[in-house]
Amino acid sequence: MIVTVKLFGMLKTQLHNESESELKVSLDQGCRVDDLIAAIQAMNADVGDLLLKRKILVSVNHEMAHGETELTGTDEIALLPPFSGGSCTPWEMLADVYR
Amino acid sequence: MSTVDAETMLVRVQREDFSIDEEINRVRNRSTRIGGIATFLGTARDRSNDRDVSRITFEYYEGMAQKKLREIRERALQDFDVIEVLILHRYGEIDVGENIVLIVAGAMHRADAFKACKWCIDELKQITPIWKCEQTPDGEVWVEQHP
Repeated sequence: MIVTVKLFGMLKTQLHNESESELKVSLDQGCRVDDLIAAIQAMNADVGDLLLKRKILVSVNHEMAHGETELTGTDEIALLPPFSGGSCTPWEMLADVYR
Repeated sequence: MSTVDAETMLVRVQREDFSIDEEINRVRNRSTRIGGIATFLGTARDRSNDRDVSRITFEYYEGMAQKKLREIRERALQDFDVIEVLILHRYGEIDVGENIVLIVAGAMHRADAFKACKWCIDELKQITPIWKCEQTPDGEVWVEQHP
């Protein structure tokens, strides 16, 4: 089966050298997320290592997946690099107000 | 406005800027029991990781981002003594000084509003698939999570 994997942020350039937002991966029927990670590692070792270290997460149908999660050809799969964030310093100051 | 429409307006990911007054009133008008409203407004700054930043671009995962924001709102309503919560995040190109994200929490008392508001923005940054790309003199930099 062919699964379509959505790409975001830096992954678009890391896996494509272009700004494409999807990656097609050929997998055997009944494959799991671990198999998808192995397939991606064969394409790009750096991204594969980040997936194995869980620096990049995999979502299936809008929920975080784990290695054992089974995949079907109709699943919506995405690779999620670290989400953006901001400094929490102002909140540490604010904490004194309502403590 | 129907209940469904009203709730849709309380969790949004949108390109266009928003009016803080209008969004506060959206929460205020949900109940006359509200006696305290806490807000968090995130804005685009011109400095990050010792680099100048001229512009920020936000990308989000359509569908999953909205789902996570709805979950945050629902959990805040369950776990804190708040009456209403609004969560709004912009995407696309945002210039320095512009609005990025707004949390509005309305409660009977200020302490509960503050707590819910803080929890919502912290949780948003943890679990919502939104990515930030900063335009710097060295080029574009995708930002990873800050502490």
